[in-house]
Amino acid sequence: MGYLRRLPRFDYLAPHTVDEACSALAERRGDARLFAGGTDLVLQMKRREITPRAIIGLKGVASMSCIRAQAGGLAIGAMTTFRAIESSPLIREKHDFLCETAAAIGSPEIRAVATIGGNLSGALPCADFPAPLMTLGAIVKLRSVRGERALALEDFFMEFAKTAAAPDEILTEIEIPSRPGFSAGAYLKFHDRHAMDMTTTGVAAFVTWDREKRLIGDARIALSVSGPVPLRVKNAEAALRGQTFTEKALEEAALLACQEAQPRASWRARREFREELINVLTKRALRQAGEKARAAAEKGNA
Amino acid sequence: MKHLSPVSLKVNGELYELSIPPWRTLLEVLREDLSLTGTKRSCQEGQCGACTVLLDGRAIYSCLFLAVEAEGKEILTIEGLARSAGALDPIQKAFVETGAVQCGFCTPGLVLAAKSFLDENPAPSEEEVRRATVGHLCRCTGYFQIFEAVLAAARERAGKSAPA
Amino acid sequence: MTVQACGDYAIIGKPVPKKDACIKVTGEAKYADDLFFAGMLHGKLLRSPHPHAKISSIDTSRAEKLSGVRAVITGKDFPGIKYGNTPQTRDYLPLAIDKVRYIGDEVAAVAAIDEEIAEEALDLIRVEYEPLPAVFDAEEAMKPGAPQLHDHAPNNISAETAFEFGDVIEGFAEAGYLQEDLFETQAVKQGMLEPHACIGQWDETGKITLWASKQSPYVVWKQLSMGLGIETSRIRVIQTYVGGGFSGGKQEAMPMDFSAVVLSKRCGRPVKFVHNMDEVLTIGHMRHPMKIWLRTGVKKDGTLLAQHLKIVADGGAYSSIGQLSMYLPGAMLNLPYRVPHVKYEAYRIFTNNGFCGALRGHTIPQVCFARDSQLDLIAEKLGLDPIDIRLKNGLRPGETTPNGFRIGTFGFTECVEKAIEASGWKEKRGKLPRYRGIGMGCGSLVSGARVMGHSASTAQVNVHEDGTVALVTGSTDVGQGADTVLSMIAAEVLGVGLDDIRFALVDTDTTPADPGTFSSRVTFWTGNAVKIAAEDARRQLAEIAAEKLKAQINDIVFRDRQVYVKNDPQRRLRFEELVRLAQHRQGKVIMGKGSYTSGEALIDFRTGYGNMSPAYTPSACVVEVEVDPETGQVTVTGIWGAHDCGFPLNPMLVKGQVLGATVMGIGQALYENLIRIDGKVMNPSFRDYKMPLTEDMPRLANVGHINVVTNDPSGPFGAKEAGEGAAAGVIAAVANAVYNATGVRFKSLPFSPDKILFALKESRREAECGKA
Repeated sequence: MGYLRRLPRFDYLAPHTVDEACSALAERRGDARLFAGGTDLVLQMKRREITPRAIIGLKGVASMSCIRAQAGGLAIGAMTTFRAIESSPLIREKHDFLCETAAAIGSPEIRAVATIGGNLSGALPCADFPAPLMTLGAIVKLRSVRGERALALEDFFMEFAKTAAAPDEILTEIEIPSRPGFSAGAYLKFHDRHAMDMTTTGVAAFVTWDREKRLIGDARIALSVSGPVPLRVKNAEAALRGQTFTEKALEEAALLACQEAQPRASWRARREFREELINVLTKRALRQAGEKARAAAEKGNA
Repeated sequence: MKHLSPVSLKVNGELYELSIPPWRTLLEVLREDLSLTGTKRSCQEGQCGACTVLLDGRAIYSCLFLAVEAEGKEILTIEGLARSAGALDPIQKAFVETGAVQCGFCTPGLVLAAKSFLDENPAPSEEEVRRATVGHLCRCTGYFQIFEAVLAAARERAGKSAPA
Repeated sequence: MTVQACGDYAIIGKPVPKKDACIKVTGEAKYADDLFFAGMLHGKLLRSPHPHAKISSIDTSRAEKLSGVRAVITGKDFPGIKYGNTPQTRDYLPLAIDKVRYIGDEVAAVAAIDEEIAEEALDLIRVEYEPLPAVFDAEEAMKPGAPQLHDHAPNNISAETAFEFGDVIEGFAEAGYLQEDLFETQAVKQGMLEPHACIGQWDETGKITLWASKQSPYVVWKQLSMGLGIETSRIRVIQTYVGGGFSGGKQEAMPMDFSAVVLSKRCGRPVKFVHNMDEVLTIGHMRHPMKIWLRTGVKKDGTLLAQHLKIVADGGAYSSIGQLSMYLPGAMLNLPYRVPHVKYEAYRIFTNNGFCGALRGHTIPQVCFARDSQLDLIAEKLGLDPIDIRLKNGLRPGETTPNGFRIGTFGFTECVEKAIEASGWKEKRGKLPRYRGIGMGCGSLVSGARVMGHSASTAQVNVHEDGTVALVTGSTDVGQGADTVLSMIAAEVLGVGLDDIRFALVDTDTTPADPGTFSSRVTFWTGNAVKIAAEDARRQLAEIAAEKLKAQINDIVFRDRQVYVKNDPQRRLRFEELVRLAQHRQGKVIMGKGSYTSGEALIDFRTGYGNMSPAYTPSACVVEVEVDPETGQVTVTGIWGAHDCGFPLNPMLVKGQVLGATVMGIGQALYENLIRIDGKVMNPSFRDYKMPLTEDMPRLANVGHINVVTNDPSGPFGAKEAGEGAAAGVIAAVANAVYNATGVRFKSLPFSPDKILFALKESRREAECGKA
């Protein structure tokens, strides 16, 4: 049985550019781990869940820590901390619920260090960023010495703690497409305590309002801790498209979301409890996002 | 495997040239190499806040931070807070005077978290204080006297910095 | 003894900061892990991965060969003497010899040049186990044929207690209403932030020194002597600053303490051990999980007539303080309510879980949860107000309870009334919106008790020529403020300033033997000893002052560092002048000494009659909650506690004790649960063992603490207990508030969101069926 231990021994590499990082990773292929904020990785190493022979520290790669507007949307560097996201006026303007998502993770001490790239690359079902970003249609940029490719975030999570990134690829940036007019998102999560706790279940909803028809134009819903990987619940989304914004519609969507989810039973929470939470949080997130999108449409504020 | 890396750490204004293996946490180096034991070792999992130090003015958990990655940053530990002010910092004074200190094991971490927070938000609401200190366990006080201390420190600091 | 009028104190009663707060805010206070000795080695313990197994063999050779390892020891390196608190509970070994009884039981220890190597060495120790059938449920463990943990304990009965005072059959026969309920409580942990830590040294003369984070160095000293088979005179325990105690392992000698000294003997160097938090959460001294069956008979007007309480407690693998743990819940049937007929049966059962012991309030909060929850149930059934039923049955000063507790000061009624007033109960109860509720719970505690052979407290007051005073006691400050309160007592008596008193940490070589900090005894017992010692010193000084100032001894006043004649304050000496006069001119070095014991007989915990404590404290707690009906999450929106601490010697510290205890109660009610599956702790980290955090707390405006002042004549300056009693009623207050908010009664802890949500769904379903 594993008790907490001091960190295992490893080589430490500190690249300054993405290219250097890619080369280092290619060289140490298979036995190196990328090390972003480290708030999860240090723990996993202390518990001997992972024992990489080398650590490639990315804190010195300045170009990976950025938030910028670009054609077609926003780009967030993978090394951007939760704190930077939480306090970014640009993100607040475009996708305020991402700021709220960041602000609700851990404590200020965690948020000062933990990064969005680390949160995604860990591919843990309890991570909070995948779900809201998936509802926004986020794209991840992967770089290696072989070149660069882009992948929809939705396709990034393969299985528990495993992503689609090849062993030599680095997640460098997250691109978020521009928000359609009259749309809004929400990410709601539940944990036992009121803060600084592991998410039992989380639901992100992103609603686009059809101003002409006064209906739900589009809806996207993604869940945390509701399966081995973060997942979109597309039947629930489809059921909402073109619907009037009523409790009945939300209720139906929530039921579909529960059916599509595969929450696990564990000593942390019973499956039945997680299902109840998926149901209620789906409704709440849709209500919050939908009301905001509708209000924007009514005011004419895209 | 390369074992020792030369690392220079700037702690409490002093520069230390060290040669340390990369797998040592900042907490370990502060306590074991620099004898700065005011930074406490408790959960070692980034949950309790007892090991909090300031890195370029920002509170972090030193148990989750590699010492090699602190190179080139300004580190402030509790030992540096009192020294830099010559006497107790207003936050330390407020902790003493409001009964926010019992066993004292959470105290250095909380004092530093409060400093980082008040430097950024000099006139916080009670709600903001609560949010700023959520990463710190205190089993003794039930937290109320800690909220009072941080709010009192904010008032004290505001009084001092106000133009005469 | 001179009696000063209340309120005429120079120091007592003032909300002054804790004496050591300054060196704690600067990080200078040295806790055990902060000590580094030249040549010091680092130790680690190997723990059993099996809940129950025979040890066939242990091969340490590979570990010993690892570079940097200095020694490896096993149970065979000790004399094989079991140690423990009382003759009935001696079942610990420093390291297991032939058998392990829970996952985490210590089987070997390593000393190496650093922690990393010590950890690595553990991997190299090969232990052959022969797994045995294990049992994890107390009731299962009592059944015939269940796996047996200890040879001396047939049917795994670790401790049993049965007593009856009055005649419950008669009481129940008279009753107009009977209520019977089964309650269940969970395992929770002390949760102190400082993990257990020690440094052991065995020097060439054979003297053993242990620097350790201990709240009862005396007990550790005795137990080390017992387990090592070495006379106490060769053992010295030096207390370091203690980063939170709350009873448990810091009250006893632990495998790390034994291992540190024996490894030091082997290596000729000091050896340090520090537990990781997952070890702390895995090893013993959790609060006893209990099944509590309670039957109560009342008159239709709510007057309590009889209570019958049966408890089965999961004691885990070892005894700790078993007999006392089982006595206390039954004893507490007599407090704070008047119950003419009480009957009690309790079993503490060995299981292959981590062992249980004392934790702030010991086994009292569990039974208060059951009893005060049931009182609300009874009140509702009989259409009575929950406050009225409490006030009607509350004990009054001067009563003697059926089990022989003599109630002196006891401001129970005032506690209830003050808590109601502060919380706005009357404006809220029954008037809050749906899913908001308010509830009350009450409790009571002793002000120290005689629980072992040596229970007396002792103090020395050494007056120095510069006018300062060294105060030496065997009681430890664990953050609760003993350093300050005891110093305040000495300063008040001697008329010096609080800063003039130097409070020493315990060193068993030099401090007087005092059992230490537990059972809320320090302020009352050690406080009395300090007062006697300071008065002794003052009398010695007064004799000299009277001669010098040509006055009667009884007219000499000590105040503000001055010594003067009553009614003629111009005839005066400075305090230090007087001390120098005594010392330099008359050759009299001033040293006061004092001992205190309540004089009560040691109660036989199995039969339960007698007056346990010189004073009892009641408390009342009101909690307001809001329940999210869709997630089951409870938010505590207000807490108000009233507590009769006799007289608050330092109101700021009392407030810290009462509110801290209250929040611990909230933790047990709502969040905390040490989850064990087949004996394995699933959540041994502060991430998963969830103690309340700042954002779980109500706003300051909705938090109140009220001191009920009763001035106990036998307490020092009227004081009684303040550290534990306030925790007793909190869990019931939460249970009653949640019921008030939701209409659903929860009888098993914790009140988790899952439990609440599904109970709410069930009750809505039933309501709908009822309508249909």
